[in-house]
Amino acid sequence: MGTRSLLWDITKKYFTVGLIGLTVSDRYASIVSVRGSSMSPAFNPRSDTNDYVLVEKFCLDKYRFSHGDVVVFSSPSNHKEKHIKRIIGLPGDWIGTPNMDDVLKVPEGHFWVEGDNSVSSLDSRSFGPIPLGLIRGRVTHVVWPPQRMGRVERETNQRPLSSLQDRPEFY
Amino acid sequence: MKFVYSQQDFAMGTRSLLWDITKKYFTVGLIGLTVSDRYASIVSVRGSSMSPAFNPRSDTNDYVLVEKFCLDKYRFSHGDVVVFSSPSNHKEKHIKRIIGLPGDWIGTPNMDDVLKVPEGHFWVEGDNSVSSLDSRSFGPIPLGLIRGRVTHVVWPPQRMGRVERETNQRPLSSLQDRPEFY
Repeated sequence: MGTRSLLWDITKKYFTVGLIGLTVSDRYASIVSVRGSSMSPAFNPRSDTNDYVLVEKFCLDKYRFSHGDVVVFSSPSNHKEKHIKRIIGLPGDWIGTPNMDDVLKVPEGHFWVEGDNSVSSLDSRSFGPIPLGLIRGRVTHVVWPPQRMGRVERETNQRPLSSLQDRPEFY
Repeated sequence: MKFVYSQQDFAMGTRSLLWDITKKYFTVGLIGLTVSDRYASIVSVRGSSMSPAFNPRSDTNDYVLVEKFCLDKYRFSHGDVVVFSSPSNHKEKHIKRIIGLPGDWIGTPNMDDVLKVPEGHFWVEGDNSVSSLDSRSFGPIPLGLIRGRVTHVVWPPQRMGRVERETNQRPLSSLQDRPEFY
């Protein structure tokens, strides 16, 4: 038919496939690598490899986040950095911080996040609760390495916190 | 790339033609979606918090062009108008002007002290202070909440034009690191 017409046809197909891939990655789901040990042993239990996880973005529209969900979010102090941490407190929860004697109420539209590996985790204990608008997706599965492939569970072994709303004696 | 079809094309077979048209519309739609998500889109302005820059009269809603290139490498300046997700409800979007950059000191009229805008955050206010819900209520916002920068008014025609970086807000100090306030 002609090399030129064939090349154009191939170009169009690659362009369309690329565009579909980009749209899916932006809006629906993508795969990211996990760096650091702040979520050990759930991710990167040994420092020699980086786990790859599946991040879904459907949650940004209608989903109600729960305690124990692992989310990807932009850092409040540097929007170009992305962090992966677990949701420990929902809006309205009271968080007791070990350093202070008082408790902190998580504001409306915000979440308190912490890494599973408290010792080496930069999280809400440093930068406070994060607004939901910073969340970029929810981690549902580990996809690499093969021996750790599987669903990411909503477990939380954090210190007890109160989920009671409106404790007037603390105002 | 063909977008106009002739009688000869119909002779090829309606089914093949319909599939061809569908593919073209799908691709055009996808390109439009990608451009709107990543590069620029047009949004309508609601409310009078940015009056008279937008919606100077309450009968019409202005339409503005929002560019998203700024989210990658741009350094925001005083007076830039930005679109951002509300800190208390991520589904709501607000349009306000940047009054304070990271490190700026903001003097609030209600209090005698000043507030330092934290790293990676901005202090935003509406031009129309009286009817504006902004950083004076919800504090400085992290840059990660910003969804784009407003560059032009595109509707109505009599107000079309570039959006300028003007700011007539109360004086604030842009000096960094004023140690006596720590």
